[in-house]
Amino acid sequence: MRRLAGFNTLVALLPISVLAQATVEGRVELPKSHSAPVQAKRYEIVTRGGVLSTQPPLAVVYLDGSFPRRSSSPVKVEQKDLTFIPALLPIQVGTKVEFPNLDDTYHNIFSYSPAKRFDLGRYRPDERPIPSEIFNRPGLVTLRCDIHEHMRGLILVLNTPYFVMTDTAGRFRLSELPAGRYTLKAWINSRTTREKPVDLKNGQTLHVDFP
Amino acid sequence: MTSASRPNKPKVRSFRTKLLAAMMLVVSGLMALALYLAQRHVAAAAQSNLQQNFQAELLSLDKVRELRNATLAERCGTLASRPRIHAALEDDALDLLYPSANDELRDLMETAQPSQSERFLRAKFYRFLDPAGEVLPPPNPKDVGELSLKAERQLTLKRLPETQQIGYIVETPDATDEIVDEIVAAPIFSTDTGDVISALVVGFKPFELIGKAAGAGMKSGIWLNGQLHMPSLSKSSQAALGSEIAKAITNSDRVQSNFRVNVDNAPQLLFYKRLNPTSLFPPAYEICVYPLADSMAQLHRLRWQIGSVGALLLLGGFVASQFVAARLSLPVEKLAVDSEKDRAQRKRAEAALASTSEELKRSARYSADASHQLKSPVTVLRVGVEKLLAREDFKPDVYEELSALLHQTHRLTGVIDDLLLLSRMDAGHLQIASRSVNVSQLVDEWLDDLGALPDSPDVKIEKEFPAGLFVAGEKRYTSLIVQNLLENARKYNRPGGRIRVRAHSNARDVVLTVGNTGRTIPPDENIFERFHHSSTPSVASGHGIGLNLARQLARLHGGNLRLVRSENDWTEFEVLFLAANGINAVA
Repeated sequence: MRRLAGFNTLVALLPISVLAQATVEGRVELPKSHSAPVQAKRYEIVTRGGVLSTQPPLAVVYLDGSFPRRSSSPVKVEQKDLTFIPALLPIQVGTKVEFPNLDDTYHNIFSYSPAKRFDLGRYRPDERPIPSEIFNRPGLVTLRCDIHEHMRGLILVLNTPYFVMTDTAGRFRLSELPAGRYTLKAWINSRTTREKPVDLKNGQTLHVDFP
Repeated sequence: MTSASRPNKPKVRSFRTKLLAAMMLVVSGLMALALYLAQRHVAAAAQSNLQQNFQAELLSLDKVRELRNATLAERCGTLASRPRIHAALEDDALDLLYPSANDELRDLMETAQPSQSERFLRAKFYRFLDPAGEVLPPPNPKDVGELSLKAERQLTLKRLPETQQIGYIVETPDATDEIVDEIVAAPIFSTDTGDVISALVVGFKPFELIGKAAGAGMKSGIWLNGQLHMPSLSKSSQAALGSEIAKAITNSDRVQSNFRVNVDNAPQLLFYKRLNPTSLFPPAYEICVYPLADSMAQLHRLRWQIGSVGALLLLGGFVASQFVAARLSLPVEKLAVDSEKDRAQRKRAEAALASTSEELKRSARYSADASHQLKSPVTVLRVGVEKLLAREDFKPDVYEELSALLHQTHRLTGVIDDLLLLSRMDAGHLQIASRSVNVSQLVDEWLDDLGALPDSPDVKIEKEFPAGLFVAGEKRYTSLIVQNLLENARKYNRPGGRIRVRAHSNARDVVLTVGNTGRTIPPDENIFERFHHSSTPSVASGHGIGLNLARQLARLHGGNLRLVRSENDWTEFEVLFLAANGINAVA
């Protein structure tokens, strides 16, 4: 939410030339959440029938295509209270992700996912430098802790710099998009990604809903 | 006496021989029975003994197997809780599965000398099954135990098991060798979802039955997929036995059983038991073959023992029977002598009887002849007296005399008639032409006649019988019976007395009772005897054959005549007639 709010502020403050770029907004129909509402900002990764998704459900909307890699500062996936925060992190390929341990115990973050196999080994809360990995292949990376078997985190490595997470109602807004014909995709869970072709024009705001 | 016992000597001897033979028969019969029972007992005992041994062996193996499988299950649970195993299985990194499990399962494959308690967990190989039940190929087979492709294929299952499955596979390291391995497939459950995500299949060297309790010679093996794997037997014997087991297993649904077989011409008892009931793997059976040589030898020994005991018994019996026969034949000898005496006596009695019968016949004939000889002169006499009576030139006292004479001739005729009848009955010549006779009418007629008699005393007659009582008989003889009784009742009555005649009938008989007042008959007097004469002097006279005749006639008619009572001025006779068929309704 903070991130979305940031975007809004950004949009309001941008000069005209930037505003001339295209925007997409709309809503992703999210799977019904059966569990009781959880506290804001705390969501987790669940596996159902081999399918990984967030609980409560959230989607990642991104503009597919090959775009020049935009240099970005490292992002963080914290381990706090034996969970990954955020549980689902969309990043652009080539992004460095740091895994700071904010708990009072050891963690051993690793992944066997084809998109990125790594093993950070056991490390203490005050481990310096902060253990990190650079994700160079697009795909879904499942984060696990070898010590805490229930811990799950997801990193969605994307080719594009244009992505956003929906709110829990499924609403999203992607701005500063280049004009052109693209495919807009909505990642809902490890098995489901919906897509729609979009024709983006400068200065226009397109409304796209994923049923 | 001596002359009688001499011809019995051979008989006594033959009795002794028979007794001996019977004793021998009994002894040998008992021996055969004992032999048969003992044989059965030994066979059954041997079988149950071996069976117990087999069961005990299997039971002890089951215990070890249970322990091992429980350890395996626990190991699989630990594996499933390993994030790396999950990661390998769920994150599409199967190549990392074996390395991830390596640490966990290292001790399974360790070649170092294991401790006694852990020996049973010494695996030969292990493999993981993917969700389709196929074997996940290990990246480095050396680490997880090498297997031929053929053997590895036997590990696959149609689906992942929910519970532990025990199976057996055959590995052929070279053309001649065959090794049977026991495999246990243990499911791995996802700690997240509870689903079976994989299975760990671990191969072990099968447990071997020791068979120490059954003595040497016990062979054990495993029957799998129609083939017997019993390395201690030759190939051909294994094949032959394998097909026999296959037959037994297909013929019965039993999980375990036993039967007798011949292996290399030696009798054996074969036990089998399904090792993996309800397993998803092909059925395998533990086979145990016990040689029966021991129990056969035991049986042989027993046969000799029983045989010799029997022979001894027979010998003893022979000696004893000599004594016994001697003791027993003494009374028999006596019996023989006695029976000889008896026979002589019987012969004498028979001769006496024959002569008596002859005499009797003769006397009966004589009595008949006599009657005839008597009858004609009496008739002549009566006719003469009647002629004299018809004359009118005699003095009145002469007529009186003549009347008395005539009366006597009448009496004489009556006596002679009775005698004739009696003699005919004695000779068995009297035939009864049985008809139905109205006895009520007969009684009435005779009572009428009685009243008309000139010397009738003043007696009162009471009649208590229904009209139309019919009896089966010949009328003249029935009439004679009734007449006899009624005449007696009148004759032996007292003046002013009474006669009571009663009759009643049931379905079978008609009973007629005639009672009269007057002098009673002393109890010791046999009034039914022929030519009986009353001991007490009486006014009434009889010739002493009336009652005898009446009784004989009544009996001849199938009835009877008896004195019911004679006391207190009352004498009552009862005569029993057979009722005429169907004529008398129940009165």
